[in-house]
Amino acid sequence: MKNLLSRLERLGRIAEDTALVILLCGMIVLAVGQIVLREIFATGFVWADELVKLLVLWLAMVGSIAASRDNRHIRIDALSHVLPDKAIVATRILVDLFAAFVCGVIAWHAFRYQQLEIEFGDTVLINTPAWLAHVIVPVAFTLVSYRFVVLVAWQLYSLASGDDRRPAE
Amino acid sequence: MILISLILILLAVFGAPLFAVIASSAMVGFLREDTDLMNMALEVLSIADLPFLAAIPLFTFAGYVLSESNAPKRLVRLTGAMLGWMPGGLAIVCLAACAFFTAFTGASGVTIIALGAILYPALAHDGYPEKFNLGLVTSSGSLGLLFAPSLPLILYGVVAEVSIDDLFLAGILPGMVMLVMLSGWCLWVNRANRKPLSSFSFRELGGAMREAIWELPLPVVVLGGIYSGFFAVSEAAAITALYVLIVEVLIMREIRITDLPRIIRASMVLVGGILLILGVSLASTNYMIGAGIPQQLFDVVASLVSSQATFLVLLLVFLLILGAILDIFSAIVLVVPLILPIAAGYDVNPVHLGIVFLAAMQLGYLTPPVGLNLFIASYRFEKPIMHVYSATFPFLIILMLSVILITFWPGLSLWLVADG
Repeated sequence: MKNLLSRLERLGRIAEDTALVILLCGMIVLAVGQIVLREIFATGFVWADELVKLLVLWLAMVGSIAASRDNRHIRIDALSHVLPDKAIVATRILVDLFAAFVCGVIAWHAFRYQQLEIEFGDTVLINTPAWLAHVIVPVAFTLVSYRFVVLVAWQLYSLASGDDRRPAE
Repeated sequence: MILISLILILLAVFGAPLFAVIASSAMVGFLREDTDLMNMALEVLSIADLPFLAAIPLFTFAGYVLSESNAPKRLVRLTGAMLGWMPGGLAIVCLAACAFFTAFTGASGVTIIALGAILYPALAHDGYPEKFNLGLVTSSGSLGLLFAPSLPLILYGVVAEVSIDDLFLAGILPGMVMLVMLSGWCLWVNRANRKPLSSFSFRELGGAMREAIWELPLPVVVLGGIYSGFFAVSEAAAITALYVLIVEVLIMREIRITDLPRIIRASMVLVGGILLILGVSLASTNYMIGAGIPQQLFDVVASLVSSQATFLVLLLVFLLILGAILDIFSAIVLVVPLILPIAAGYDVNPVHLGIVFLAAMQLGYLTPPVGLNLFIASYRFEKPIMHVYSATFPFLIILMLSVILITFWPGLSLWLVADG
């Protein structure tokens, strides 16, 4: 069981890294390519700008997933410098449970919105189904929610066992 | 409603991820207005509708690549060759190099780590007192925020729907004022030890330029392209990213291809964090505008304050407190939509407001107890945080004076803006 979990962790990290590399490099090539086409050949793809913007969305979402794994979401960090360690872990458990719940709610409603997009047959990028371009939103919030649950489990474990090893950062 | 707001604020203070706090406040608002929560998804999706946003991941990535290469070393050498002949040479070099690097890496906190590591020991070697060095390096880490193409300027332009080109022009003089005032302070403090780094030598300048030959075209192309209107800022960002990638990985070979996934991940984690907050803030902003909250805020402020000058004083105090609590990116996406209409009511030009906002938030990096640069410096140079506080304090005061100057002298920001 434990083996399976750590395997899952490793695969997840590789999947995130691969997605980020492809998305970012794709964005660079597309954006520079568009400039070259415009300046040298006085032409360009009508869908390129829209695709770059969609890539920004995907980068933001996959980046958020990666940020949750690395526990690097932006927080107000003032109290963690003054509270004792145990108190920090206890409050972190509370606030991370809250974050997991919020992400779960957003994921659910994003999923509902997807159903609507499928139903209405919305399209982007000329004729790509919109839900396909937007599927990253419910997926990302689901995974971020899952990460916060994992984080809470870790912190509970460290609080109970007194072992304050942080999850791999 | 007040109870819910109170709970949310408590959650934020106790370290809940900011995006979750903002998202839940938006959703509570939606529920009160009987708006379907599906709108939350719509708002997050509208990240893909904002113009120029591609500049943020692209510049951040380029900045991370540059900071992992030897470019910071070359930059310090080149700045030394150009400015080292001045009295108080190395201190001035430190300010100029940091400002330049921060602007190009988008103020993502890498300056202290990339340049501080080189400059801090060099300053000590040159006989500057330890406490001065610590304060100088810490406060230099956020200098340059007002120069193109810094990410906070771009983000402000996107959020406030103000021309990013105008902001880039408006930031030049206020940024210079900060640099000059800090330089003056450095010269004054070290008046007993006001020695140049070295005498000016064309040979050293030539050597430094040859060493940096591949990076030299970058600022010319990017700044020239942006200021001449040849590139949009997102295009300049794409060219920068590609160019940096080719130079540092393929030509200089200072970064191995196998390192790229790690660097991409590190930079995109930051970008994901910022853009996620942007996405949920779009939702909370929309709710607040729908509920007429900016108007109510304006009515409250208007009943207290009548003149523009008093309003600016109030704004400055508010921003300084805000900057001490919130990071600059969250502050921009969360607060700018609220104060923009209020400032307009007092005839504050939105471009000038942006410069004031960022200048004040820059101080936030250095304001105890929670300024980010203070902690980075404390961690990086292994000094107790209280020591960093007191070392940085004089620099904080100088910067505070410059921010006051920038706030009450709109001409400084607007002079270069054509139709400001």
